[in-house]
Amino acid sequence: MVSKTEETQLSNLETQVDNGGGGAWEYLSLVRKLKVRRSDRVLKHGLSILNDPKKRSSLGPDEWTLYEQVAVAAMDCQSLDVAKDCIKVLQKKFPESKRVGRLEGMLLEAKGAWAEAEKAYSSLLEDNPLDQVIHKRRVAMAKAQGNVSVAIEWLNKYLEIFMADHDAWRELAEIYVSLQMYKQAAFCYEELILSQSMVPLFHLAYADVLYTLGGLENLQNAKKYYASTIDLTGGKNTRALFGICLCSSAIGQIAKGRNKDDKESPELQSLAATALEREYKHKASDKLSLLTAALKGLKVPS
Amino acid sequence: MAEDLVLDTAIRDWVLIPLSVVMVLIGILRHFVSKLMRSSQVPDAKIIKEGQLIVRARNLRSGANFIPPRSFRARRFYFSNEENGLLHVPKGQAPNPQAQMFSDPNMAMDMMKKNLSMIIPQTLTFAWVNFFFSGFVAAKIPFPLTQRFRSMLQNGIDLSTVDVSYVSSRSWYFLNLFGLRGLFSLILGEDNATDDTQRMMQMSGFGFDPTKSLGAEKDSLDIVQHDWALPKFEQRAEAVLRKVLS
Repeated sequence: MVSKTEETQLSNLETQVDNGGGGAWEYLSLVRKLKVRRSDRVLKHGLSILNDPKKRSSLGPDEWTLYEQVAVAAMDCQSLDVAKDCIKVLQKKFPESKRVGRLEGMLLEAKGAWAEAEKAYSSLLEDNPLDQVIHKRRVAMAKAQGNVSVAIEWLNKYLEIFMADHDAWRELAEIYVSLQMYKQAAFCYEELILSQSMVPLFHLAYADVLYTLGGLENLQNAKKYYASTIDLTGGKNTRALFGICLCSSAIGQIAKGRNKDDKESPELQSLAATALEREYKHKASDKLSLLTAALKGLKVPS
Repeated sequence: MAEDLVLDTAIRDWVLIPLSVVMVLIGILRHFVSKLMRSSQVPDAKIIKEGQLIVRARNLRSGANFIPPRSFRARRFYFSNEENGLLHVPKGQAPNPQAQMFSDPNMAMDMMKKNLSMIIPQTLTFAWVNFFFSGFVAAKIPFPLTQRFRSMLQNGIDLSTVDVSYVSSRSWYFLNLFGLRGLFSLILGEDNATDDTQRMMQMSGFGFDPTKSLGAEKDSLDIVQHDWALPKFEQRAEAVLRKVLS
């Protein structure tokens, strides 16, 4: 997760570099550090540095890191010739290197030669069975080929060893949601909440999954997690506000007749509805009538 | 009785400063030599798995109040289950560390290399200091000391009437040994090879981390009481929304 200050710093550098000011190298280093995906810009500015022999030599040993970064960006933008040239340069400098081998595998993957890429990755894994990036690339390949069940199997095996990798848990959760395996997705989101409990995104996703699963207890839990999202985002998250309204009405429908303990938060639904109306008034006032109609339909039958 | 001895400035020029300079240079040399000699460590699958397991168990402990009680209990059972829980180390496997240390040739070599690179320069420098710089007063410590320190600090000086604050160059060597650590972390960046004191502490307690910390994690996990924080969040959300709307 990129913090706010880093995000502003990144966008500042971006505008500076795009408009012809200097600072391309700082921008590329920041992108590398934060692991964000800005492949077109990286490609453009990276190539401008690499093609200029004076700037290239001023980089010193960082030159090779830049080659690697530009190669990956080129593959992302489908400029395979650029990528091939970069990899060739790296190969000349570092023959027999695992990192370069990985780049070659990625190039095969980018070309669409799945079987050969698979072979390359398996041979790399034999020498180095604990390389996290290669494992993840295999999963990504399976997913790209549409072979989601194989991707799940591999991702699970990966997580058996590297169980503290929260990016992998997130990917697994999203795959499960796409396959409508909500119980397993809920498990993955719980893992994410455990490791990063103050990130509202995961609370929101977990609440969504719980709401989709349905059932009184899940709905009540979903409502609680929507509430925690609201708390963590200071009431600005529209989806959470909607979630509260929907959950409350759904709970009301199921628990009709039984006086469930609504003493916890009797006003939450009305507050959420009012907050929603205010947001719509600010941002999309033409849709306000739609909103009011929808909310009226959701009113809890008391 | 304690008259102020006036120390020749030549001592400062020819003893204190050269000694410090030599120690700094030797430290830098050691750092680069150890970098060259360091063999690439092949990460062991079991160790990595255990490390990650510990992180996950710790996450479970810290975030326990954010997930529903049933999920928490399921996970705790998964971890500390008697038969096949992940954190449960069967008694037989526990006395592993010593045997493993010596049976793994790579690790023994690594340890020996690290020890050697630390001990040899220290010994040589100490001998050099003793040989060349003994028999005279090198410096004065700015605060008074008791007589007990005499044997330690005034080793080459055979006069018993000299104030204990006047020390020999051996104590200057020791002072540099421990004091230059800060300087090295400035020059060479963190995690340099000259961090002797840390390594000395580590040498004494080289238990194999995983098995012991697994047991520790299991115990702390058993202690945790699950206090579900989420219900409170509903009220907090109410408060937040009220504030936003007011």
